Parts: sequence; structure tokens; C-alpha cells
Amino acid sequence: MKILQIRRDKDEYMDMLLLADLKQDIIESYLDKSEMFALINGGDVCAVCVVELLKNRKCELKNIVTRPEDRGKGYAKYMIHHICEHYGNRCDTMYAGTGNCKKKLEFLGKCGFVNSHIVANYYLDHYSEPIYEGAVRLTDKIYLKKQLDAEINVKKVVDLALEAGRILLKNGAEIFRVDETMIRICKRFHVEYVDTFILSHAIFISAENGMEETYTKVKQVPLSSSHLGIVAEVNELSRQIAEGLVSIEEASRRLRKIDGLPENRGYFQVFAAGAASGCYGYILGASALESMVAFFIGCILYVWVLTAKKQHISKMIVNIVGGVIITALALAAYHLPLPGGVKLDGMIIGSIMPLVPGLAFVNAIRDIADSDFLSGTVRMIDALLVFVYIAVGVGVTLSAYNTMGGGLML
Amino acid sequence: MIHEVIMHVVCPFLGTIGYAVLFNVPKRFYLSCGFTGMAGWLVYQTILSQRISAALASFLGTMAVVCLSRVLSIRKKCPITVFLVSGILPLVPGAGIYYTVYYLVTNQLAEASRRGMESIKVAFAIVLGIVFVLALPGKLFQSLAIRQRRVRKG
Repeated sequence: MKILQIRRDKDEYMDMLLLADLKQDIIESYLDKSEMFALINGGDVCAVCVVELLKNRKCELKNIVTRPEDRGKGYAKYMIHHICEHYGNRCDTMYAGTGNCKKKLEFLGKCGFVNSHIVANYYLDHYSEPIYEGAVRLTDKIYLKKQLDAEINVKKVVDLALEAGRILLKNGAEIFRVDETMIRICKRFHVEYVDTFILSHAIFISAENGMEETYTKVKQVPLSSSHLGIVAEVNELSRQIAEGLVSIEEASRRLRKIDGLPENRGYFQVFAAGAASGCYGYILGASALESMVAFFIGCILYVWVLTAKKQHISKMIVNIVGGVIITALALAAYHLPLPGGVKLDGMIIGSIMPLVPGLAFVNAIRDIADSDFLSGTVRMIDALLVFVYIAVGVGVTLSAYNTMGGGLML
Repeated sequence: MIHEVIMHVVCPFLGTIGYAVLFNVPKRFYLSCGFTGMAGWLVYQTILSQRISAALASFLGTMAVVCLSRVLSIRKKCPITVFLVSGILPLVPGAGIYYTVYYLVTNQLAEASRRGMESIKVAFAIVLGIVFVLALPGKLFQSLAIRQRRVRKG
């Protein structure tokens, strides 16, 4: 079963169209400026419909008819669903006009149409002979309308929401923000029944649209480096989606673009790490000279961190070796004949700072405060372990140095 | 005087910005991040100089950071994490970890445990500070953010 758009020889289907609308000249008056679709099953045309595009993002369902022998099989409903999706990008509202006939009104109601307006005495004015539908004489034309974005596919919406959630979680957003963004996107595109379950490294989402089947997806999100710029951008996008400014296609296009946002340049990060080391060293009581040394140690440390990140070396090794590098360099500076001499603690404390897991720590606290204990615990352990790794790196080096000097060097 | 200004104003400011760069915070937020970190440090330092415990000073400093972050996140319409993470960093007990390890290595266990306990206390103070301010109702910060904007326009 497939639906094709008919572009040529629309007149061939006139016999079928006449089943729904008795006057040939009225059909001809709209046929040329309208688009026509046919539902084909097993080589036979089972149903056709005609839609006219109007101004201001509106369109009108002019005619829909199913072969008499194929009625009651849901073809027309399937077809309406299809064309609503088809016009969903171009139009906001679809109108459908029909006589005051209960059967047709009920059918359109089932397809999601609601009352719009009535043109009184339409059939009396436009048709010379009286028309009967069943036993009722048709007089007024009743227009119904349907909001088209209600027709958007649940799968598409859930995929969009899941992608947004994945990007947020990967780049270090809190659990409740991921949850809120996903639900916000789903609600905006009329997927009302959504359930999400979010862990620190996985997302589960399940959605249904009332009449369709449930759609469930699971996504694993490995822990990786964080990028708060991306979190801010996705947040901005989700705000715009909720306001209704962004269509579903545009949203997924922009998400892809956001996901590809680059990190800061390597040398810039190295310089920033150095600056942070120097400044923190100074405020924690180092002298100006020690801060300068801390600046250089911070720079060298971050060169290592970036290299390790590129090689996907485990976090444990990165931080332990980081601690070793800091301490070894500080010890080297300690032995250099620098004017006035330098103390170890200021240099080491300052240069530790770029390694401190600030984001994991803050997110852990926030998750626990929001009662997301599972993710909070995982992130807290992540943060604490990084502290421990740094301490191990620093401790091992200090201890080795101390032992070399027979316990008298520190 | 100049030394103190550099130590307590310029350094936390630059250091916080440096940390913000490492987390790829968008460039337009650098200044706000710097101010958050600076404010937190100034509050911390002022209280610490009154010979009040480091834990209490961290608690109040954290509260200042979180308050400012919440106001900024409403004004700049972006996630609070952006300001919070970099702003809180000057208060994180990095020094505590170092001294704990140092005394452990040099076998001064009493001193090591004192430093370790103090770091843990400070960490808990930071946790409490964050949780307290985040629990305050959002409307309070919304009105604060709007009032600030009006002042600027006037």
C-alpha cells in the first residue's frame, strides 16, 4: 500500500471524484490548482483525495473518496494521516468542507478535525437540484479544521528529544535539565505521554501518542569531556522550540550543528590552564615568582591533559600522571637557583587547580539536591576519585623524593 | 594596597575566567564568570579575616556565588552551571588536599588528619551552601534580576 501524488491526467479519476461531489464543473474548477493523491494497493487505485493550498499557511481538503468496494477498511483515514504529514511543513491548518451529513462529520471527527465555521445555504445556492444524503437534504456546508503539527510522527519527535538529551548529558548538564528539555520538546510537538528515566550515562525514553503504539528507546552516553558552551546552546534551542519558533526539521539540523561545535583551541586552553594555576597560586598565598612558576607548570600540565585526551587514555592515568608532573616540575623549580628561592606548596597548590573536577562536583551536588541519587552518587564518586588520583600522584612523587634524600628533603 | 587588590580582585577574576575557558564556556559569559568567582572569593576572604572558621567562610562564599549565578542565569538566559562551576572553584579546598598529602608523606599523621578533616568540612560547607540557595524559590531571583536590569536602563 502506497500513496502517490498524481501530477498529470487528473481527469482520469473524475469518476471516483464524482462519487463525493456530484457536479463536474465544481470539481473542474478546483482540480487544476490543487494537488491530488492516490492510494494504490495491489495495483488498483483504492482512494483519491484532492487538496488545495490556500494563503497564510492554510490548505483545504477538497475531496476524498474511497472506491465503494473498499470502504470501511480505513484507507481514507490512512490517507488523511499521510497528507496531514505531507502538508505539516507548509501549512498550519487544514480545512475540510462537507454537507450537514452525520456520517461524514463523524468520520472527519475521528481523523482529528474540529468545527470551524458554517456557510449557510451553500448547497441551495450552488446546486440547482436538491441533494440528499440518506434521507436528509443538504443545505449548509460545514467547515472543519485540523491543526497539522498534531500529525507529526512520534518517532521523529522522540528521536529529536533523545538527541538533545544525549548532547546535554554528554557535555555535563544536570539530570533535571536533560529531563526537562526532553519533555519540553515532546510536549511542544504534541507527544503527550512521555516517560523518561535518565542516569548519569544512559537515557531511557518511552512515548505514545494516544492512539499509536508505544515507542521506546535507550541510549548509552559514555562519560566524556564536558563543553558548557554546547549545554548553553542546546538550552537556548530548547527555549525556542518551546516558544514554537523552530520546526522539527530545523531543530534537528541545528542540533547537529551544535553537536559539532569545536572546543577552544589547544594553545588557548593551555594558556588558560596556566593563567588559572598562576592566579590561584597567588591568591592561596604564593609569591609572585612562585605564581610565575605555577603558570608554566599549569601550561605543561595541560599539554599532557590534552595529549592524553586525544589518545583516550583513562582518567585515572591522566590525573595520577598529572599529579606526578606537577610535583616533579615544582621540585625541579625548587632546586633551580631562582632569586629569593621558592616554596613548594604555593606552586603545587596553584597548578593542581586545572585538574580539580569542579563540574563533576557541582553536578553531583545538584543531582543529589534534586533527589537524583543514583546519578548524583556516580558523579560524586567520579569527582572524589579524581581528587584521590591527584593526591596519589602528588604523594607518590613527594614520597619518592623524600626517600631519595633519606627522609630529610621535605 | 595594590598588592591586596591584585591578590583578592584581579587574581580570582582571571583565575575563574581561565577555568571557564577550560570548560568551553561561551565567550560572552567570560566576564560574568569572572565576577562570580571574584565575589565568592571576596566574601570568603572578608569572613576569614575576621578569624571565623574556614568552613563558615566557605559556606557564605558559596552562597554568594550561587546567588549571583542564579541572578545571572536568569538575566543571561543560560544554564546556571556555566557560572556556578567556574565561580565556585576558588573556594574548592585544593590546598587542603595538598597539605593532607604532604603531611602524610612526611609522616606527620596528626597534622595530616587535621588538614584532611578541615578539607572535608569545607567540602560539606560548599555542598550546603549550594543546596541552600538552590532551594530558595525562583521568584525571588527573578524579581532581583529584573530590578537590576531597570537600574541599568535608568
